[in-house]
Amino acid sequence: MMRREFAREMASLDAVFEFLHRFAAKERLDPQAAYALDLAVEEFFTNIVKYGKGSAGGVLVEADRTGGTVTVRLEEETPVPFDVTRQTATQFDTPFVERKPGGLGIHIAREMLDGLTYDYVDGTSRITLTKHLEP
Amino acid sequence: MFSITVNDEGIVVLTGRFDASQTDSAREVLSGLRDSAVVDFRDLDYISSAGLGVLLATQQRLKKEGKAIKLTHMNRMVRDVFKIARFDLIFEIE
Repeated sequence: MMRREFAREMASLDAVFEFLHRFAAKERLDPQAAYALDLAVEEFFTNIVKYGKGSAGGVLVEADRTGGTVTVRLEEETPVPFDVTRQTATQFDTPFVERKPGGLGIHIAREMLDGLTYDYVDGTSRITLTKHLEP
Repeated sequence: MFSITVNDEGIVVLTGRFDASQTDSAREVLSGLRDSAVVDFRDLDYISSAGLGVLLATQQRLKKEGKAIKLTHMNRMVRDVFKIARFDLIFEIE
């Protein structure tokens, strides 16, 4: 298992990717799985940075592999639970010229992952991503 | 690492990883397009929803003037992201 805490700022994104790529190399993840994790973690990390409520500390990222399943967790201490995985309505039925990208990243992440959960316990907000690897 | 340039033939060339930290540089180049253009994804390894949003805004602006960007040479994973987002219905992809 690998874990590292990142400053809650957009400038951390490169370091988050570097962490994920070291994990992917260590676990020899296939490119599709590595891409899905990059995309999903980027989405939720940036949402935490943009929309986190009243939180000042860092964001802990943990990555682990058990058999054919990879799990990545993003944790933060926060006084208010705020589920950044909630999907705002994707605008597939909206005319193209009016369409906005809101909700798109969460939709793509959900489609590329095999599991996505949010929980809040004792002041800790936790997003858990799971991805099954190709046999 | 990400770069966006317009080559001598007017083709927009994307290179590297187009993530949420790269939207400003992409907007700066794409906002300069005044006519239909080709965007070459040959050397683009990664795009996230942040990058899609910048391309969507560009396409919306150009379409209002009867113009469009066309996307070429995507790798399979990038193409999958476009399909999941249903952006393959918004852009011509070669």
